[in-house]
Parts: sequence; C-alpha cells; structure tokens
Amino acid sequence: MKNSVYTAVAICFCLAIGKLVHHVLGGLPASLYGMILYCLLLQLTWLNPQRVNLANQWIIKHMGVCFVPPAVGVINHFDLIKTHGFALVSIIVITTFILLTFVGVLAEKYLTHANESPPFSH
Amino acid sequence: MTLQDINMLDGIIFSLLTITLYQVFSWLQQRWQFIWLNPVMLTILLIVPYLVFTNISYAHYRQSTLLLNSLLEPAVVALGYPLYQQLKQIKRYWKPLLFILALGVIIVISVSFILTMLIIHRPEIAIALSLKSVTTPIGIALTEQLSGDSSITPFAIMIAGFSGALLGPIWLKFINVRSDIAVGLSIGSASHVIGSIVLSRDNPQQGAYSSVALIVSAVLTAFIIPLLVPILLLLFN
Repeated sequence: MKNSVYTAVAICFCLAIGKLVHHVLGGLPASLYGMILYCLLLQLTWLNPQRVNLANQWIIKHMGVCFVPPAVGVINHFDLIKTHGFALVSIIVITTFILLTFVGVLAEKYLTHANESPPFSH
Repeated sequence: MTLQDINMLDGIIFSLLTITLYQVFSWLQQRWQFIWLNPVMLTILLIVPYLVFTNISYAHYRQSTLLLNSLLEPAVVALGYPLYQQLKQIKRYWKPLLFILALGVIIVISVSFILTMLIIHRPEIAIALSLKSVTTPIGIALTEQLSGDSSITPFAIMIAGFSGALLGPIWLKFINVRSDIAVGLSIGSASHVIGSIVLSRDNPQQGAYSSVALIVSAVLTAFIIPLLVPILLLLFN
C-alpha cells in the first residue's frame, strides 16, 4: 500500500514537471517529458525502482481501459470506413511489413554479432 | 435532480460500464490466452453499437468518461519504468540499435503519411496512420499533439499489431531473418505490445528484444515526428 502511494506520487510529480516543461518549451507532449524524467530519476536511483515495481506493473497491465474512450470516437467515422476502409487497412498492413523487413534485415546484418561479443566497448 | 447531477451520474455509469466490460474481457483473455480476445477491441465493439442504438452522441460519452481519459497521461509516465529496465540491456549495442530503429521510424512515418495523403487526402488521418507502430498511449498522445484524429490511431495500432504479430514471424523466416535479436527487434518496432506478447509466449529471448524495440521506437518517434510531419505536409501544399 505504501509503495503504491509512493509510485502514484512519483508519477504525478514527474507528470507535473512534464507539464511545466511542455508549457515552457513545447515540443513533446507533457506526458512524454514526464516519462523521460521518471526513467531518469529511476536510473539515478533518486526514485527507488524496487518500490515502484509492483504498482507500476499493475498500471501497465490495466492501462488499456484508458484507450477505450478515444477509440470509441470511430463512431463518427463510419463514412470514412465505408469509402476508404480497404485503403486504410492496406496502407497499415503494407507499411507494417515494410518496417518489419527493414528492421529485420538490418538487425540480422549488423546486430547479430554485436550481441554475442560486444564490439562497441572500447 | 439538476443537470449537473445527471451529468455526474452519466459519468459514473459510462465509466463503470467501460471498466467492467474491459475487466471481463481481460479476464477472458487471461483464461483462454487467445491474442484476438483483445479487451480494448472487444469493449469498443460493444460500446459503439450500444451508443448507436440508444442514440447517445460520442461527445456525450466522451464527456462522461473524461476521468478515464485523464488517466492516459499518468499511464504514459509509467512507461518510464520499462524504459529504465531496458536501458541496462541495450548498453552494449545502443549505437547501431538507435540508428536502425530511427531509420525505421522515419521510413514508416514517411511512407504511411504519403500513401494516406495520396489516397485519402486528409492530413488528420495521415497523422493517425503514421503513428500506427507506436504503443497505444504514446500514439494517442502524439496524435493529439499534432492535431491528428486520435480516434483512428488505436485502430491503426491494433491492425499493425495483429498483422505483424501473427504473420510477421512467417514472413521473417521467408526472408531469412532468423536470429532472436533481429526477429525480436523487427516485430517489436512494427507491432509493439501485441507483437511482444505473441513472441514472449514461444521465445522469451525474442520477447525481451521486442520490448526493447517497442519502447525505444516510441521514444524515437516522439522526437522525430514533430519535425518530420511539417516537412511531409509541405509536399502536399
């Protein structure tokens, strides 16, 4: 329970700073500044990774429910789907496979050995 | 009852309805382990017809579920924890990794954006589709940031997720991409969490690489897309 409160406070704090940075600098969405700050504070162990572990896993497991309200907005797009549904799906699937192929081939070529014996540590 | 009371009540009812449906489908998915029992998708598939048949407008539903919507931002912040966990993993090969994933992000955004503009001619839809390889909370945040249509983004993301997760492994074998690292990274970057779940079941090593790719790609996209979209838009002016 204590750790859940700790996690919630840590996340809200990072989000608040994110909002401030977004207000001053613009650029990324506030929540992404918050995410990067959260990661940084964990890396610096200013936040204790062990204490956020469980509550954070819970958040990630259940966050899907927050995607529902924006996605229901598709209700206003029946016309778009009727006229362009096939094109939309084709574009998504084709570009997904372009990305799969590109990253797969390059990683196979340049990263397979990088992982076995670290060539980048000087 | 005053108007405000009714709105409060609707807020509670619609939020509870959404949460309950989602919980039931999550439970079913955990029980049966079918990837297509996606709780987000199934909840939407029930709520959309419900709103249509009861003549409730989307604006009203959205207004009533603002509470759920406001949880999206902290959810994105929480992704900083898996990012932190992956940082240790990628230390050894971060340079080529960032380079490959960044190039991939640039290509997928450009091709999706240009194709959509050529066929559908609507920038707000093109922005939504070019964010389809990113994990959903970040995809929605970035779509709204760029004034894209954030109701299209979750669907685009799910189609990218399912197509890549289910057919991707077969395709990669066909083009001779076989190492765990290459399969994991490519499916993680193209099909995000859905790809990661499917890979983790058969091969945890591939699953781990795919979660590296999905989180790093999302961060790279956040930096790249605000610069890239204005340039792409110039092509169509």
